[in-house]
Amino acid sequence: MRLELGEIHISDIKLGDCSKVENGVLYVNVEELKALLLEDEDLASVEFEVVHPGESVRIIPVKDVIEPRVKVEGPGGVFPGMISKVTTVGSGKTHVLKGCAVVTTGKVVGFQEGIIDMSGPGAEYTPFSKLNNLVMTCEPKEGIKQHQHEHAIRMAGLKAAAYLGALGKDVQPDETKVYETSGVMSGKEKYPDLPRVGYVLMLQSQGLLHDTYVYGVDMKKSMPTILNPTEVMDGAILSGNCVSACDKNTTYHHLNNPVIHDLLEQHGKTLNFVGVIITNENVYLADKERSSDWSTKLASFLELDGALVSQEGFGNPDTDLIMNCKKLEAAGIKTVIITDEYAGRDGASQSLADADPSADAVVTGGNANMVIHLPKMDKVIGHPEAANIIAGGFDGALESDGSITAELQVITGATNEMGFNKLSAR
Amino acid sequence: MLLVTNNGKVREKYGPLCTVQFVDGGHTDVLTQVRDLVHQGHKLLTHPLAGSVKPNETPFRSVAMTEETGPLDLESLELVERALDVCRQFPPRFHRGEDAPAEMREDFAEIDFRLIDGALAPRFGS
Amino acid sequence: MSIRVVHYINQFFAQIGGEEKADYAPEYREGPVGPGLALTAAFKGEAEIVGTVICGDSYFNENLETAKKTVLDMIAAAKPDVVICGPAFNAGRYGVACGTVAAAVKDELGLPVVTGMYEENPGADMFKNKVYIIATKNSAAGMRQAAPKLAALALKLAKGEKIGASAEEGYLPNGLRVNFFEAERGSTRAVKMLLAKLAGKPYTTEFPMPSFDRVAPGPAIADLAHTTIALVTSGGIVPKGNPDHIESSSASKFGRYDISSFEDLTSADHETAHGGYDPVYANEDPDRVLPLDVLRKMEKEGKIGGIYPYFFTTVGNGTAVASAKKYGAAIGKELRDAGIKAAILTST
Repeated sequence: MRLELGEIHISDIKLGDCSKVENGVLYVNVEELKALLLEDEDLASVEFEVVHPGESVRIIPVKDVIEPRVKVEGPGGVFPGMISKVTTVGSGKTHVLKGCAVVTTGKVVGFQEGIIDMSGPGAEYTPFSKLNNLVMTCEPKEGIKQHQHEHAIRMAGLKAAAYLGALGKDVQPDETKVYETSGVMSGKEKYPDLPRVGYVLMLQSQGLLHDTYVYGVDMKKSMPTILNPTEVMDGAILSGNCVSACDKNTTYHHLNNPVIHDLLEQHGKTLNFVGVIITNENVYLADKERSSDWSTKLASFLELDGALVSQEGFGNPDTDLIMNCKKLEAAGIKTVIITDEYAGRDGASQSLADADPSADAVVTGGNANMVIHLPKMDKVIGHPEAANIIAGGFDGALESDGSITAELQVITGATNEMGFNKLSAR
Repeated sequence: MLLVTNNGKVREKYGPLCTVQFVDGGHTDVLTQVRDLVHQGHKLLTHPLAGSVKPNETPFRSVAMTEETGPLDLESLELVERALDVCRQFPPRFHRGEDAPAEMREDFAEIDFRLIDGALAPRFGS
Repeated sequence: MSIRVVHYINQFFAQIGGEEKADYAPEYREGPVGPGLALTAAFKGEAEIVGTVICGDSYFNENLETAKKTVLDMIAAAKPDVVICGPAFNAGRYGVACGTVAAAVKDELGLPVVTGMYEENPGADMFKNKVYIIATKNSAAGMRQAAPKLAALALKLAKGEKIGASAEEGYLPNGLRVNFFEAERGSTRAVKMLLAKLAGKPYTTEFPMPSFDRVAPGPAIADLAHTTIALVTSGGIVPKGNPDHIESSSASKFGRYDISSFEDLTSADHETAHGGYDPVYANEDPDRVLPLDVLRKMEKEGKIGGIYPYFFTTVGNGTAVASAKKYGAAIGKELRDAGIKAAILTST
């Protein structure tokens, strides 16, 4: 498969009465976008704000972050199964509005976390402080249930990102990157001497607030399967996850999956990137056994020499991670896993809820229990009362001056387990 | 199936469908009860740690086990002991449901219900 | 004013002599000696070595308490801001001496201290969780690389600056996980690690799995009728009144008590010291934890050869693994010396 990604660099977002991309500036017709989003009968209101890197702004609680994209050539459309039809994506040409994102905020449940600080010490830990963000505060209609609320905000974010992405359809990209992958047979013929490497991508799939969708399918109801690496770049995998702010994979992470990018970078040079095996993280133990059996079976089927496994979440998913690692290694497939740690505030506790000697090659996204002081911001967007909740308990404290002392785990994307960040621990 | 829970919402739906052991207590009490049942030969069917909701966050917990007993299942024992370790590492913010503020209590109960329901409903065809 | 450093080295690095001079008694000299010159250069004027304490390795290890006290007194008299010991590289006794001095400087003098040694030096395992130990090569050929790291960490400690992760500062991992920013993102590091693993080249995991201490079971006892059995428990059973005050959690000792005159343990004579479980049933009948009654019965029936006259007991409730290992080794040694071939270990 061959996908061309045309990147349009966005340096600013401006709200107004006309929607367009011009000279690197994204103009948004607020009324038009609002009307589109309010077609959802579960939403009562949507408010927009634009935030820039370096501003004294805190967004809380963040539900999802989405990069605007549009399909320019080739089959299908972005976010298949949710916004576009289910047609297989990942080939042709796609345009990306680079340097900006849609950030949705909404309090689906009382204990939700997820902070993006656009400046200060907290900003160093989240990749989203470096983007121009269109923040959408979505309020549901009275009386709707938590799962309807989650659905409404998730769809609003995707619709907005698709709407904005479409503005870049006829814009000349500033930079074009080409990603080309081989079939199982042709790859073998082309790179007979390179090690065959696969990527086992674990997706959170445990129920409300913990779900991930693949071509619209709730991943907990799917068996592990194989994707072409470029499919994720068109939005084949979408986040429905609102818990575990620091180590959940937002839709932005899926679209820009760093493991896929780094493996494609090495494809044909030092390794042969054969494909992506997606698997789930279910509640039922028999599901965990079956899924890890299947991810290993698919890896063996592809005759992989090596595999990279990325995790999402903490606790229960540690069991899936270790099962995957153990079974891959037992099948003779050399494995590296990416995770993060909950080693306690002093760093002295056991980092993972599961462990096995076969997991001898681990990359860590850092200790999520590390305490960080987030100074007061001039402006708080979203649901500032969520800070009280985060502050109320074990995870942190809200000081009288508006600053927060909290654990790193409240910051969106801080200890990402796809290896999106430079943060680590020893 | 044997369902150990301290969540009224879970009892309401699954009481008529399977054996429910209702625990009048907090998260750790549920896991302690599960551990005792493991020692009595029941096997775990669902993971004792809830999704990625930190155990110190939610006061509610529901765990499915086999109704029939057999020899001690070491894997189940290992999982539940590790879960109890995690609970010790992150002391609970709300010991029992009633300790959580009303608006959060309902959310916690709903999430716990959804997590176990997602795993069990297909098995009961409901 | 520049930072005052006192340096501890052995007789070899003080150019006094090798093994034949290892019984050299502690001596204080003004200013830097031997490797102190390399450290002085690495301080770049920010600190100076005001004095050097020299002690022979055999002398230190054979006169541990007095040597430690003399060395500490010499160090304290020089009023340092920070102390550096070694580096000891792979010299075992020197490593243990450096670790012992460093831990004492930290605990007893309350001063910042850093030492250095090779990761396989026995002193490394003993002291890496107590003091900062800069990882060095296995011979003095590594002095050139070690000196700047020792100097940098010593300066940071003296100034009270925040100490980074082990990978940044160069010290041996000490069990405390510390966050820091790597030069490359996690996915890139993972791809590189995988390529190394595939090529069979060395790589370093960022999170070593907890070590799994698995003990292979001993062979089965063929002739039980002629075997004396010992009883050992971490369930806290002690003679009534807990005469040695074994702690209810994080036990700092184990007890050894005579059971040769007992047929059965009862609430009148024994109880549990354990604080981690409901003690009612153990106190009601301590045989439930330490099954002396059934063993006596088997002894009478001739099923077992006999019962070791003493039982060993401690509390497993939060007791450090290192302590438990120490107790286990001591108990094992006594039983082995007594020719005992079998023991029953009960936990709770």
